[in-house]
Amino acid sequence: MMDPIIFVLAGTLAAGTSMLFAAMGELVAEKSGVLNLGVEGMMAVGAAAGFVTVATTGSHSLGFLVGALTAGLLSLVHAILVTVFLANQVASGLAVGILGLGVSAAIGKNFEGTTVEPLAKLDIPLLSDFPVIGPGLFSQDIMVYLAMLLAFGIWFLMNRTKPGLIIRSIGESPAAAHALGYRVLLIRALCVLFGGAMAGIGGAYLATAYTPLWAEGMVAGRGWIVVALIVFGTWIVPRIVLGAYLFGAVTLLELSIQAMGLNIPSQLLSASPYIITIIVLAVISRNKTLISLNSPVSLGQTFKAGS
Amino acid sequence: MKNLTKKLLSAGLAIALTAGMSAGALAADKLKIGFIYPSPVGDVGWANELDQGRKAIEEAFGDKVEAVVVENVPEGPDAARIMNQMASSGAGMIMIGSFGYMNDGLKLAKKKPDINFIHASGYKTADNFGNFQTRNYESAYVAGMAAGYVTKTNTLGIVAAYAIPEVVGIINSFTLGAQRTNPDINVKVVWLNSWFDPSKAQESARSLISQQSDVIFSLYQDTPSVVSVAEQEGVYVVNTSSDMKKYAPTKLLASMTISWKPHFLKQVQAALDGKFEGTAYWGGMADGAVSVSSLSDDLSAEQKAELQAVIDEISAGSFHPMSGPVVDQDGAEKVASGTAISDGDMLGINWLVKGVETRIPK
Repeated sequence: MMDPIIFVLAGTLAAGTSMLFAAMGELVAEKSGVLNLGVEGMMAVGAAAGFVTVATTGSHSLGFLVGALTAGLLSLVHAILVTVFLANQVASGLAVGILGLGVSAAIGKNFEGTTVEPLAKLDIPLLSDFPVIGPGLFSQDIMVYLAMLLAFGIWFLMNRTKPGLIIRSIGESPAAAHALGYRVLLIRALCVLFGGAMAGIGGAYLATAYTPLWAEGMVAGRGWIVVALIVFGTWIVPRIVLGAYLFGAVTLLELSIQAMGLNIPSQLLSASPYIITIIVLAVISRNKTLISLNSPVSLGQTFKAGS
Repeated sequence: MKNLTKKLLSAGLAIALTAGMSAGALAADKLKIGFIYPSPVGDVGWANELDQGRKAIEEAFGDKVEAVVVENVPEGPDAARIMNQMASSGAGMIMIGSFGYMNDGLKLAKKKPDINFIHASGYKTADNFGNFQTRNYESAYVAGMAAGYVTKTNTLGIVAAYAIPEVVGIINSFTLGAQRTNPDINVKVVWLNSWFDPSKAQESARSLISQQSDVIFSLYQDTPSVVSVAEQEGVYVVNTSSDMKKYAPTKLLASMTISWKPHFLKQVQAALDGKFEGTAYWGGMADGAVSVSSLSDDLSAEQKAELQAVIDEISAGSFHPMSGPVVDQDGAEKVASGTAISDGDMLGINWLVKGVETRIPK
């Protein structure tokens, strides 16, 4: 038996984790100037591949690895299309995403409706003994903490290191970066690959830890929320983190309010995670200068050396 | 997005299907039966139960029939196209397995009077177009009684998709059953407002558990999402459609299973004999379409006997789960003492009984 407050606290971190992984990956790709609208499909592929791996080998770490590799492979298709063949990023991302949904269905075909053991929860000594907050915040599986670590790592990489500066400069002005001697296309492709792999881990988390079962379509739109979170979070890491957890929190709060039997129309409650996340992120992002400073100028544009 | 994928997939399938069917058309005299399912055939769930019906047909009729299955077909133009292709490549009978296939199926049935249609869960009929549904409210009553026996908190939680009449009727019947064995029962519902989101279904179950529910009712979740959460959290669970014992070996209280086999076999036989009639079939416990399976061993022998007695009464037609007096949430009498709700009222039911805490979303 759990307490409703613990339910919301504990659930929030877990609910935000799959989106946080995918969002951090997509952020890096977008910072390098490549929009990837196929996040949903890549999460689905990661979820299917991760689930099948865990179901057959029993190893969760292997599941995350295979999920990341498979989704990474798929994102490579997008990367090659937009860098080598100069395809339109929107069209390519959508197409690869749709391909991903189909591939995920094919991978998971024989596992439809089956379950696996969820990833084990770790109790952090001392902290997890605190009443309410302890079981709420400090009794999670390892991926919840790794997602936070990843978010910090990405923030540090982008804002405090040279590779981050290079990625950002490519996203701002690929021509200038090229003139300086940076291999724009290679770096962009690597960023997209990273994005795909992270989406794969996010998907695998969904299917092997958060909801340890496979059913086609179980990503259920979370990939699209990730794409939206980055825009509403104006490409700033802490805001995206806030958005992901906020979305998770309001989703759980909605269910909790329903279970309490409060007489609020449930359709309104079901829409509330979207509405509240958008309002909060829109309010904190109303500074136009900050948006133009952070949104990669070349986002969505193809780059060809010499053109 | 999902729709688009499905379109691409089903387009591919449709091509393969046409090719397959025209090749098969040479082997004449067989009754070709097309099956269209809205979701992939999994281990458990809706499409799986439909597919069990198909297997029963193949087993029973052997060489006399030939089944063609297309799964995961979205409602709308794709379904219409696949039906048309099945029709033009010689199908004599088509089973359409989703509510939203109804109008396209009926249109085709009128154009092709020599093809017989059976439709899952619709309400329209024609001479060659019948529909079928199950009286799941019957098994829900029995499952509710079991829930009333085992609950310690007197709080039952239901995870439901949308408040359509069928779902509302099941919730009412479940609540009335629980009140029969435990008058202090209190029922909470979480509406998902989504047909498919296993993660949200699991969180809904957790939120109900965190607020005292110690029996969870997984109402029309196609996946074992809610059932496996109940096992993890150590609360009892009831589910619909398929037997999900293996997903909650210690905590499954009962599965409200359905079977299309008897109806499918009858309809195919009628089609073979040229006696097919488009009827509205609403199968219940009496004809084996609905049953309660895997009752938990935590129920005592007397309790099980009591449940069996009610099952026998419902099967014999001497007891209706929605027998008066039934009072709605506002205290108004909806079914008078000494009468039972009519089939017509049951099909359009839009009020919840007293004892359900949650309101119907308006």
